[in-house]
Formats: sequence, structure tokens, C-alpha cells
Amino acid sequence: MKKNEIVLRDHSYDGIQEYDQKLPNWWLFTFYIMIVWFVVFWVLYYQSPVKIANDYERLDKEIAEINAKKENELKAILATLNDDSLLKMSRDPSHLAAGKAIFETKCFVCHGIDLSATLNGAKLPGLPLNDKEWKYGGKPMQIMETITHGPPKFKPDGTPNPQLGMIAWNNQLSPSQIAEVVAYILSKQPR
Amino acid sequence: MITKQPNLDSVTSINEDGSHYIIHPADVQGIFTFWRRVIGVLLIAVYVALPWIPINGAPAVFFDLVHRKFHFFGLTFLTEDLWLGFFLFSGLGFGLFYATALFGRIWCGAACPYTVFLEHVFRRIERVIDGDCNARRRLEQAPWTGGKIVRRIVKHGIYLLAATAIAHVFVSYFVSLPRLYGYMRQSPLDHVGAFGVMLFLTGALYFCFSWFREQFCIILCPYGRIQSALTDDDTVIIGYDEARGEPRGKANDENSGDCINCLRCVQVCPTGIDIRNGLQMECIGCAACMDACNKIMDKVKRPRGLIRYDSLNGLAGGKRRFLRPRIYLYTGLMILGVGVMALFLSRLKPAKVEINRMPGRPYYLTDTAIRNQFRVVFTTKKSEETEFNVTVKGLPDQATVAGLEGSFTVPPQSEIEKIIFIQVPRKGYQGQFTIDLESLVEPGDFTLRDDIEFLGPSPYILNAEEEQKEAAKKESSHE
Repeated sequence: MKKNEIVLRDHSYDGIQEYDQKLPNWWLFTFYIMIVWFVVFWVLYYQSPVKIANDYERLDKEIAEINAKKENELKAILATLNDDSLLKMSRDPSHLAAGKAIFETKCFVCHGIDLSATLNGAKLPGLPLNDKEWKYGGKPMQIMETITHGPPKFKPDGTPNPQLGMIAWNNQLSPSQIAEVVAYILSKQPR
Repeated sequence: MITKQPNLDSVTSINEDGSHYIIHPADVQGIFTFWRRVIGVLLIAVYVALPWIPINGAPAVFFDLVHRKFHFFGLTFLTEDLWLGFFLFSGLGFGLFYATALFGRIWCGAACPYTVFLEHVFRRIERVIDGDCNARRRLEQAPWTGGKIVRRIVKHGIYLLAATAIAHVFVSYFVSLPRLYGYMRQSPLDHVGAFGVMLFLTGALYFCFSWFREQFCIILCPYGRIQSALTDDDTVIIGYDEARGEPRGKANDENSGDCINCLRCVQVCPTGIDIRNGLQMECIGCAACMDACNKIMDKVKRPRGLIRYDSLNGLAGGKRRFLRPRIYLYTGLMILGVGVMALFLSRLKPAKVEINRMPGRPYYLTDTAIRNQFRVVFTTKKSEETEFNVTVKGLPDQATVAGLEGSFTVPPQSEIEKIIFIQVPRKGYQGQFTIDLESLVEPGDFTLRDDIEFLGPSPYILNAEEEQKEAAKKESSHE
């Protein structure tokens, strides 16, 4: 047989024969590359002490980072806030406008557009916020805490609080937004 | 200069030992080559220009990955409109089927971006630097002298520049031009993702156009591989008229056919086939062999068209048929895809209103009323402020709507969420009903309709309860 001759193989199926030709080298190389890749991958991923995070771990890590960032933001803002500064905000028109906008997209569903927790005389699910009565504390920082984390899960005497009406808003509103809502609520208090 | 003789048993561009046989197609001039070049230059101009032409405040074609918006000739699609892509691609796909059934691989030879860049950019660069096919072949076999090294460095340097430019054009379809320009002036490390894509593309394009070339069309391209299933004996392809050409012989030989066996058709072929062996899967329909053969036929004073656009039936001297069942089928499928897409495009509005029930209880029952809570999202895809004027229809008397006060504006290309509740007094309540939300959108002056069910208890039970209460009240007042 001549070198590099095109070989027609002997076997025949239903009269169909096939050539025995070389694969293009570049094609062959893709297989070699895959073999090398497999070894590298297998060693790195399964055998080496280097831990490569999977998607779930990466996601958990990112969520933890976001939560930590939120916590830090909350801490930073809380450090600048106190009852006096919130009261001061409640007299600042720009904060009030922002607070009003948030209140009238999120809070008014349960607390009413006029904070009375009623709609055309019918009772809404929330507590009225314009009646000087505060179930979970009426100091500005206490209101801030109630909106951020929801009503306390336990009464002061340690028994579970059965009426867990409101959700914790820290997943939907940033600390500064919550502060603006508090300012808006404070501004609406009867004097 | 010895060149390889193509045969039907093996691929010319792959040597028997598996190595790549570099094909050096000869220069060719003629009417088909001319028009092919015109189309190629126009297409490159279009590819480059599309992200630069503003239509309705956005580039003509711009897939804005950052904002997940797709601008397409003045229309803006959000990710939720992606289902339209099914009809776009089925329409385009069947359009390609249709063109293939009629004219074979005309797409590959004239309009495929791969061919366009290879033929009209990279092969031109090579022609200028390395000379014609004989010079290129000589240079390939020449020892590595200083001159050859310089030539190679210059050629591959320009290749790399061209590949980089094409990669940037590609990226400009996905990243806005000012942003891309900003990226280009900053350190690559600041935008590792975009830079990585650009680098990968540059490498891939350089590899394909400098070395891989026809291998892609012959072996990798899936469209190339399904050709044989799409064409038939009536498809217009580039073919050699065997009846006229055979037997091959000298130009002055009276007894031989028209083919003088000059091998010009083989020399100019960019995929290295001999078209006289009949239709082969390597043929990309570039028409270079037609121009080459026509020129020779002119020289030997024989009629043109020994190699020509014709169907296999036509080349065999049979009847040429244009309309046939396959064409009807592909036409129908193409019209179906394009038609459905056109229908949905015409109904696609640049704004959207979505109403959903708030999570939680389906309805709230108070002492005096029944209340439903809904979440409404108003979205505009327009690049200007959009006004929504909302009216709620289908309400019974005394029903109140809170949270929707007449008209409001949504900033350009954004959405706002409103929580609304609808309350019906117990007395006026007659059971569940459908609420129609009608939003008049300005500018554009069109109305969007969305409906949702108002849920509540059975009015029968509610009334019975009311009566019971009344009775209890009466009784207690009696006592």
C-alpha cells in the first residue's frame, strides 16, 4: 500500500462502503484539548484543596454580602438618627415629599391615605396612625424600629404577640426611605 | 507550480495526513465577482453603520444588555417580548430555506458575514501584501528569510487589527457607543467582561480568517450541512454543462467538447473543488468559476455559460421547473412565520398595564364593605414621558376606588407600581364581577385594556348573615 493513499475499506453493508481517511488535524486537536481540559478540571475541581464555589454557594455569598451591606447601611444611618433628628426631618419639606410618595404607594393600602386606617368609613387592616395612640411605642426611633423589622414578636412580658399584622419593610425600603416615611407620619400627628 | 487535483473522494483542503492544505485561489474578474464585491462592501457598511443610525432616539439595532432592552429599527422590546423572537427566527429560517430551495447556497457566497469579511477584507489584505496566487504559493514554500518574516508580521498584524475592528463593531451592538468609547479609553481591567468578550472575538475572528477559512463552511457550518436536504434537481445551482463540455480537449480540436481543460475554474475556487465533478457540498456558490470560465470561453470564441446558474435538470438538458411542491411548502412556512410576527408586531404597544391581585387574602370583608387589593404596574418603552389616564369600568354603584387618581406620568422607559383597592359596600354587593381597567396612553393616543375579577363571598350567604344580624339587633332592641 502506498503511503497516504485513500483507502476504501473492505467491509460492505448493503453495498455501502466507506473510506478510511484521516480526521483533519485541527479536529483531532480539539479532542486532545478536551483531554487536557478534563485533567485540569478534574484535578482543580475534585482533587485540589482549592475550593471552587458552586452556583448555590456563590449565590448565598452574594446574598450574604448584600445583607451585610444593608445592615451596615442601617447601622450607619441609625447612628446619625435619633428622636430629635427625625423630628427635625418631619419639618423639612423635601423629606416630607419623599416620605409622602412612599407612604402613598406602600403604606396607604392598610393605613389609609389620611392615616386613619379607614376608606370611606370602612375599616382597613392597619392601625390608625393619626390618633395619638401607639401600640408599639410612639417615639420616632420606636416607629422607625417597628417599620424596619415589623411589630415585636413578643410582648414585654415574654408571651408571643398574636397580632403580627405588618411585615418587616427592610427588604423593600432602604433605611433612609424608612426614615422619610417616619418623618411624614410624624408631620401628620395631631398637636 | 504543482497544485492539488481535486477529487470526489477526499476534501482538497485536508491533506491525506490530516494537515490543512492551504488553498490559494487565483484572481478572478467578471460580472458576478463585481456584484458580489458591491454587495459585500454594502453589507460591511450596513454592519458598521447600524449602531450609529438613531431611530426614535435609539440606535437602529442595539441590544442593550445593561438595561435589558432591545432596539430594533425604531421598535423597543423588553425581555418579556422575547417570545417574538421565535417568529422572527422561524420566519428568517424558512426564508433561508426558501432561498436555498430556489437558488442553492447563494446566501453563503454573497451575503454570509463570514464570507463577506473573508473575501472582501482578509483575502484583499493578503492579495495586497503577498501578491497573486502564484506569489503566495511561492512564499509559502520559501524558506524563512528576513523578507518573508517581515511580510508575515505585516500581514498578520493587519489581520489582527482588522479582527479587532470587527470585534468592536460586534460589541457595539450590545454596548452603547459612548460607553464603548469610554471602555476603550480606560484600562482593560476596569471592564474585564466586555474586554474579555472583545479579546475572545478578536482571537476567534483572527483564527478563522487567517487560517481556518473554508474549513468552517465545509465542516462546521450547520446551514452548510443541511443544504443537501433543502435542494433538489430543480434548485438553481452553479453547475458545469457536461453535455457541452465533454469530452475535454484542445481549443482547436473539432471533435472535443467546449471545455479546454484549462483548470481556471479549479484555480479560482476558494474551497478547492473542481466544479466539473458536479454539485458538491463544499461549493459555497461564490460564482468565481463562472466568471473564470466565461473569460476563457470569450478567448476561445465559444458561447459563455459552460459553467452557469442552472438546475441539475436544466444542465442535463431537461425541463426547468421553478414552482414545485417544496417551494409552495417553504413559501407557506415563511409567510406563516413572517405573517404571525407582523401581526403581533402591529399589535405590540409601546406601553403596558398589568393588574394583579395583591398577595394575601383574595378579598377582605369588613363590617360594611368588601375590599379587593390589586397591584398595577404601568410600563412605558417610549423614550419620552408617558401619560396614563386611567378609568375603572364595570363597577357597581357606590363602589370606591382608591390609589388611582386620574392621570399620571411615567418617566421615559421605566415603570411605576401602584397599589389600588376597590371597595364595594355590603348593601350594593351582588356577587363577583369583572373590573375593566382602561388606560388612555399619551403620546400615541391609544387605549390599553386589562381586566381582573373582583372576588367576594357569595351574596346569598352575605345577605343571610346581614338578615340574621338585623334580626338579632331587633330582638335585642325589643328586650
